[in-house]
Amino acid sequence: MVLITLGLRALLRNPFRSLLTSLGIVIGVLSVIVLVSIGLGAKLLVLRSIQNLGPNLLVVIPGSVTDSGAQVGGGTDTTMTSEDARAVRTDCPDVWNASGALRTAAQIQSSHANWSTVVLGAEPNYLPVRDWHLARGGFFGKEEEEGAARVAVLGRLVVLRLFGLENPIGQYIQINHSPFRVIGVLSSKGQSPMGMNQDDMVVIPLSTLQSQIMGVTYVGVILAAAISPDRVDDAKREIRELLLLRHHIPPDGRPDFDIQALSDIAHTANRLSLILTVLLALIASISLIVGGIGILNIMMVSVRERTREIGIRMAIGARPRDILVQFLTESAALSFIGGLGGGLLGILSIVAIRSMLDWPAPIPWEGTAVTVFGATVLGVLFGLYPAWRASRLDPMDALRYE
Amino acid sequence: MEEGDRPGLSVRLDAVTKVYAVSGQELPALRGISLEINPGEVLALVGSSGSGKSTLLHLSGLLDRPTTGSIFYENRRVDQLSPSERAVLRSRRVGFVFQNFQLIPRTTALENVEMPLLYQGVPSRERHERARMLLSSVGMSDRERNFPSQLSGGQQQRVAIARALAASPGLLLADEPTGNLDSRSASSILDLLLTLKERSGMTLVLVTHDQELARVAKRLVRVRDGLLEGS
Repeated sequence: MVLITLGLRALLRNPFRSLLTSLGIVIGVLSVIVLVSIGLGAKLLVLRSIQNLGPNLLVVIPGSVTDSGAQVGGGTDTTMTSEDARAVRTDCPDVWNASGALRTAAQIQSSHANWSTVVLGAEPNYLPVRDWHLARGGFFGKEEEEGAARVAVLGRLVVLRLFGLENPIGQYIQINHSPFRVIGVLSSKGQSPMGMNQDDMVVIPLSTLQSQIMGVTYVGVILAAAISPDRVDDAKREIRELLLLRHHIPPDGRPDFDIQALSDIAHTANRLSLILTVLLALIASISLIVGGIGILNIMMVSVRERTREIGIRMAIGARPRDILVQFLTESAALSFIGGLGGGLLGILSIVAIRSMLDWPAPIPWEGTAVTVFGATVLGVLFGLYPAWRASRLDPMDALRYE
Repeated sequence: MEEGDRPGLSVRLDAVTKVYAVSGQELPALRGISLEINPGEVLALVGSSGSGKSTLLHLSGLLDRPTTGSIFYENRRVDQLSPSERAVLRSRRVGFVFQNFQLIPRTTALENVEMPLLYQGVPSRERHERARMLLSSVGMSDRERNFPSQLSGGQQQRVAIARALAASPGLLLADEPTGNLDSRSASSILDLLLTLKERSGMTLVLVTHDQELARVAKRLVRVRDGLLEGS
């Protein structure tokens, strides 16, 4: 319509001011889009690292020791054994595989270096349970486990610290001054969701760790993999019933263990990152509203400044509605153009963030469209009052206005 | 009256008063004026400043509403119409020429002349042609693309007259049209107004201090303290 071109032309008469006015909206839309993208990226990162642990994984941790009525903390009890792990592996139909594991901190030495790290005692089927692979060499089997052999599989980072670029296979390391032969190197796995670097670790047979290093018989954790993702809940129930029976816990008693499915953790993490995203978007919306108030302000000034012009237009036949439409068009155009600019800059910023920070920030296309639309609606809303004021001016007063 | 032949519009004011309320005080500008303006006549409103002659002109052009009394266009009462209806009537029947030209700044002469047609919804091509023709009839063809700030007072008033005539009004109201001009421009604007009036047969009402302008009017109405002094 002609009135719309009138509004647009008025903006072009003052291009610098129009630019500055829409800058508020540009920044508002930009920050909403970028923050939403960063929030979505955080969600992806969490999901990815959980995926890294194996999607079907169940973790059985011992309950807490009760010391004079005070709980010392989760996972400190010593009631879980390798036999429990074996029973989970063999007696639960929905469990595909399971491995007991125990960890301790230890000092490791090669012939020319020294490194303090985590030693993990695991059973031979630990790797398939964790959906983990070897980079080179082999893993220990049944005989080494039963014979408590002194063999070790090293994480990537440990290899780097102890051997540099040398091939460690066949070489010897000392764990707490006992010699162990290196038989394999783990593939890189990165950080666990709990923030531990899984590449900074040495894996040895569980029996070896229990009898020769720690002098204990319990396990710290039982890792079990369900036969498929949709059987995780069944597997969880079977393990629970089995362990209650084995530990002689009465039906009304408190179990001395806890089972966590990674899918549950993933669920929680998902919810948390959604909340984070919404929160970030809300904070960013504040700047959008500030941008809208900027438009309100400029439109008020503009109506006052152009009072005489409005009077002239009314004198030569503009109806109040024509004036209203003209000013509404101006504020809608300011916010729409600002929104488009902000959307464009936002997408460019996301691309820049992705390439510079190695952060998986997705471009929220729908979010961008919604935000640009919302910004335009906001502009119309904030433009409504000044436009209404303009349309209600008395032509005589407006013509006399200096 | 038919729209097609666009003769002069007749205006009747009946016991019109106008009282302005300025910071709580009531200032009467018009104190009961009855006046018949005949179609096609040239009427000059004269009087000292503050006499109410401009108010009378603005009321006649429906820019303002009387406090009491009534206004008729061709026997139709128009003072009680809504702001929107009055805007439509102004746009179709009335043209205004002001002392200080009142052109829209940073808008070309051509666009200023097109403006009334734009609010009537005339298509752009037709608007253009009509505006061009009008600018040429006031001798401003070579200034179509100029902004008001690039024109002299006399030239601005010519553009303003072209704009006032854009919708072929039946009533042209001129509020001291030569008041801001030197005597040479003033007399050429006066000639222009009379020529255009003769050509179209519209009713012309002038508010003026200018003796020459008052002299050419067929009918002189003197306003004093908000009342007519014989007619």
